[in-house]
Amino acid sequence: MKQMLTPTKPARISAARVGIGGPVGSGKTALVERLIPALMARGIDIAVITNDLVTAEDAERIRRSGLIDPARVSAVEAGACPHTVIREDPTLNIEAADELERRFPGVELILLESGGDNLASTFSRDLTDFWMFVIDVGGGDDIPRKRGPGVIRSDVLVINKTDLAPYVGVDLDRMHREALAVRDNRPVLMTNCRRGEGIEAVVDIIEREVLFRA
Amino acid sequence: MFDTEAALALLQYGDSAYPAGGFAFSWGVEGLSADDLLSGQVDLDDLVFEHLAFRWNTMDRILLRRAFIAADLDAIAAADRTAEAATPSAQMRDGSHRAGRALLGVSVRLGGSLAIAYRAMLSADARLGHLPVVQAIVYRDAGIGFEAAQLLSGWTLVTGLVSAAVRLGVIGHIEAQQSLATARHVLEALLAETPDSDVQPSSFTPLIDIAVSRGPSRHVRMFST
Ligand SMILES: Nc1nc2c(ncn2[C@@H]2O[C@H](COP(=O)(O)OP(=O)(O)O)[C@@H](O)[C@H]2O)c(=O)[nH]1
Ligand SMILES: [Mg+2]
Repeated sequence: MKQMLTPTKPARISAARVGIGGPVGSGKTALVERLIPALMARGIDIAVITNDLVTAEDAERIRRSGLIDPARVSAVEAGACPHTVIREDPTLNIEAADELERRFPGVELILLESGGDNLASTFSRDLTDFWMFVIDVGGGDDIPRKRGPGVIRSDVLVINKTDLAPYVGVDLDRMHREALAVRDNRPVLMTNCRRGEGIEAVVDIIEREVLFRA
Repeated sequence: MFDTEAALALLQYGDSAYPAGGFAFSWGVEGLSADDLLSGQVDLDDLVFEHLAFRWNTMDRILLRRAFIAADLDAIAAADRTAEAATPSAQMRDGSHRAGRALLGVSVRLGGSLAIAYRAMLSADARLGHLPVVQAIVYRDAGIGFEAAQLLSGWTLVTGLVSAAVRLGVIGHIEAQQSLATARHVLEALLAETPDSDVQPSSFTPLIDIAVSRGPSRHVRMFST
């Protein structure tokens, strides 16, 4: 090798990047749809990237929602590798985020929805500054005990669909306690994205931990 | 004869895990298989041959060389503009941009000087950043010679096609190794001949171009191309 490559500091990252991972159907897109207006209401300039697995359905759903300028929503195909595209090889997502920043210089926060998985996905720190893992009550209260890397290592664990607890025989308090226990008391938030409950607490944590405001 | 240092560089940059987003591009494998025009190893081997002989060898390889011997950034950009002009399908152009820019982004973060300089030009011109041109930049930055760069360009195309076929269930993992071996011989034969230095880049892969161009109209789609 004639010359050695020396790592440089990455170019200044102007927008914070927040990953949202979790099993298929746990409510990641629903959470994004709730977070968009809540973040905007606090004057935060945002954009969204989705990693749809098979179709561009999530990107289209968010674009058509009327909640955000459709041009601020990018879809990145994952080639049937939803883990790879956020972990081992996040370059396509990094490029999509860089591109959104180029096109919208004022953007402060980019939400990045993963294509969904089982419980094993984690986001590369090169891609996101902060990441949340969304599981839902309908999957059963044993999910935190199964200790997937997403459950354990995410910056925030979100337990969604609290409204379903009575129908699936889940004791919410116990599920919350067990989740805190496997996470060494790192944040666990409960949401009901159907009714918009618990969303402000998610926004609070983003403002405090990611945007260093308030 | 055997150059350990060069071989190790090939292993690193030619690794299908090299993080440049290659796994998200099927270059027609997904579309052709959705249209029942690609089912099984024989079809896949034909497709790989078509890609190598009628696109890579006559187009990518020529552009790679131009960008490899280019004396300055403007000469690299000229090769890039030729790539743009020589690719009629918007989806093929877009795929080449996305794959190229992803590869360039990795080298920029690794501190490659040519990559950093070229990236600055890219932000001013959305038509720049085609894959074979970026490959030349990245491999130049890495101190990889032209002969080896050609191998990397051809081989990463092959592994991308074959692994897409595995993920789509077109072939199994053992068949994949047989297809890779077949493709090695194809690549070897193509590389045995050196194209004239004044030859213009061209391609003739109508089925592949149509399959990729139809991508955006497909409801079910897992790959970028
Ligand atoms: N009952 C209930 N349903 C929800 C809630 N959040 C999402 N859903 C529904 O769960 C399904 C999957 O949600 P989606 O956001 O698409 O999940 P994703 O695959 O993780 O993005 C949809 O039908 C949503 O309407 C919730 O809090 N309560
Ligand atoms: Mg979703």
